[in-house]
Amino acid sequence: MTAVADRIVVLDGATVPSREIVGNKGRSIAEMLSLGLPVPPALCLPIEECKRFHAAAGELDEEAWSSVLNGIAGIEAKLDRRFGDPERPLLVSVRSGAAVSMPGMMDTVLNLGITDEVEAGIARLSGDERFARSTHCRFVHEFGHTVLGADLDEPAADATPAEVREAVRRDTGEEVPSHPHDQLRAVIRTVFESWSSRRAKAYRRHWGISEDGGTAVIVQAMVFGNLGEDSGTGVLFSRNPLSGDREPYGEWLAGGQGEDVVSGTHDPAPLSALALEMPSVHQRLLEAARLLERENGDVQDVEFTVERGVLYLLQTRSAKRSPLAAVRTAVDLASEGAISPREALGRVSVEQLASVLAPRLADEVAAAAEVLARGTAACPGVAAGVAVGDSDAACDFEGDSVLVRPTTSPEDVSGMIAARAVVTEKGGSTSHAAVVTRALGRPSVVGVGEGVSAGLAGRELTVDGSAGVVYAGLLPTEEVDPAEVPGLEKLLGWAKEQCPVEIVDDDPDAVDLDADGVALDEGTPDPEELAARLRGAGAARGSVLATAEGARAVLGAGVPRVVRLPGQPAAALLLRLAQESAQVDGDTEEESEK
Amino acid sequence: MSDLDLLALHGLAVKKAGSPEAVAVVLGAEEAEVSAALDDAVAAGRAVGAKGTFMVSPPGREWLQEQYPTVFAEFRANPEASEAYERFERINRELLALFTDWQMMPSAGGERVPNDHSDSDYDHSVIDRLGAQHERAEKVLERFAALEPRLGVYSRRLDDAYEKVLAGDLDWVSGARIDSYHTVWFELHEDLLRMLGREREEAP
Repeated sequence: MTAVADRIVVLDGATVPSREIVGNKGRSIAEMLSLGLPVPPALCLPIEECKRFHAAAGELDEEAWSSVLNGIAGIEAKLDRRFGDPERPLLVSVRSGAAVSMPGMMDTVLNLGITDEVEAGIARLSGDERFARSTHCRFVHEFGHTVLGADLDEPAADATPAEVREAVRRDTGEEVPSHPHDQLRAVIRTVFESWSSRRAKAYRRHWGISEDGGTAVIVQAMVFGNLGEDSGTGVLFSRNPLSGDREPYGEWLAGGQGEDVVSGTHDPAPLSALALEMPSVHQRLLEAARLLERENGDVQDVEFTVERGVLYLLQTRSAKRSPLAAVRTAVDLASEGAISPREALGRVSVEQLASVLAPRLADEVAAAAEVLARGTAACPGVAAGVAVGDSDAACDFEGDSVLVRPTTSPEDVSGMIAARAVVTEKGGSTSHAAVVTRALGRPSVVGVGEGVSAGLAGRELTVDGSAGVVYAGLLPTEEVDPAEVPGLEKLLGWAKEQCPVEIVDDDPDAVDLDADGVALDEGTPDPEELAARLRGAGAARGSVLATAEGARAVLGAGVPRVVRLPGQPAAALLLRLAQESAQVDGDTEEESEK
Repeated sequence: MSDLDLLALHGLAVKKAGSPEAVAVVLGAEEAEVSAALDDAVAAGRAVGAKGTFMVSPPGREWLQEQYPTVFAEFRANPEASEAYERFERINRELLALFTDWQMMPSAGGERVPNDHSDSDYDHSVIDRLGAQHERAEKVLERFAALEPRLGVYSRRLDDAYEKVLAGDLDWVSGARIDSYHTVWFELHEDLLRMLGREREEAP
């Protein structure tokens, strides 16, 4: 039974309530539970309660609150722990969960239920006093920041909870509650209030989202990978996210907790370590990953924790993957029948395809070349040219130039646009040069060292913005053979079947959009003008055809052939056209289903 | 010397290069007056201009550096300005990291790849952080504007950029050719550094 106490929804997987009732996160927890997967127990104050809260002028009424306490009692019973009990402490997280995610909502407060006594209890249970103290500090800081609006730096590693509490008090004039119930009630109120935060309201106004909604509140038990034997935390990918290989791939940190794996402060072991330590947990985890992959039709990235031999899945989502893996997994999933070939086309972005096919420096070329400078790789890609020392020179230079500067400032932007690549002496991956070159798509290496630019002036250089190296000379780049990219030929075959337009190297009668003044420049091309130019054309060429708008215009006008320009990979043009064409087909199918 | 002679050249230095219109936006001043002041600056050899775009000349830079300690003496001596600047620096660090996250997202395997904006959850989370920093920035700009009302203009410009981002125009986070959040923030930083006589600390 789902609705225990009238005002809350117990998320137990018995039913899967809709997003409109429990929000996105609530639904996702319920879905996992309904598949029989182990998820820490949770309760939800549904979206309805947010409306009621606002109608009652920002008050959580007593009935709703006692429902929450009933729900907490249910979680306590399931886990045999108690909220605020130092001997068997239950800590919970609180999250917002609207039906549509939007900026401005309160995100997450972790570790509610911690007090001085509970901290001592956790120190005993984990044998890690430092962990217990920093958990307490983080809670006080997070509560101060999120609920009370304190603007403070992260607490120092050796800070005490009392110090953090005092800092919050000084900054806000308010107190972080030390009773678990007061903590919980205040955070729930903050979630509901965040629905009408300035940012959330502005977002809804811009996107025409009704004010007549709300957010759910998810209260979920926290589990710990560092409490006792047979515990730890890890991440599992249902397939290898680098190669796209079908083997599951992951990391396991015995005795680790929370962010330990992701943060890079610890050295996790491969998943095979878990298979040795706890074979049945490992088995269960792999089964869960397969199930989630099948249900969601995509490669999954699953965060999990094992607490005293019990597996808990904390979160699953579509896995981030390398461009190479994007191609391979899309083709594999379609070949296995998990998705259609048309869906597979949508799983690889044009940028990923371009990256897979981008010219690069051959290893032996790079190895034999003279390295002039090394720095931080700030914008990927390889480009070559003659080094120029300032923006004016870059703008005036005939041929390819590389802008080399001590640092860059707004006056250099015109030069950065004119140059093929950018090198700076000072600054890191967040410097002005790095930020701007990424916006412009210019390969760049930053922070090569003071005084280096003097030695580069006037020389021919090759900048490898993927590796962070500047080489002497104009080095040859290496083309990638599409046949060597696993899955690519199949994907492009599907793209050809889907795409009614042929990509050709030349056509004397092609409409030349660049020559007609419809070149790709700032701003979006005007669809009406594009349509007018392309009407009745037998073929077309132009920089603008690499964009989604360009592809839509070609399809809309029924142009049968697109001529690729130098630098425009045929595969990327084809994929873009196929994706846009699939989009149109998809819309028509939806129409006919109605 | 009128205030605007100094300020127009200062605004131009913040902008590095620009039209009287662009400098007027930075200063929150009348374009015609800025234009006249820039013409005077050209006549005095402190700026060079062509086709409506001006730049501070090397003598102009020196002149500004000579003027700053006197013109902004009060501002520099005020502990409130230094304290507000400390807060500004903290927001600055967060914002620079945020701009990097906006453009380069963590990928499988840990390295960062250019953000192709296909992951709207990821974009949302960054925009959400921008919103949080924007609220902090507003507070610190209130403090600066109390000392130097002219600086209040940045609050409005940042607000404009942020509103455009919220409306879904993603270029306004860090687009280099427009008055994006990053562009305006960078100019504000330059303005403050000059007023306070400090050097830019590049991110590590």
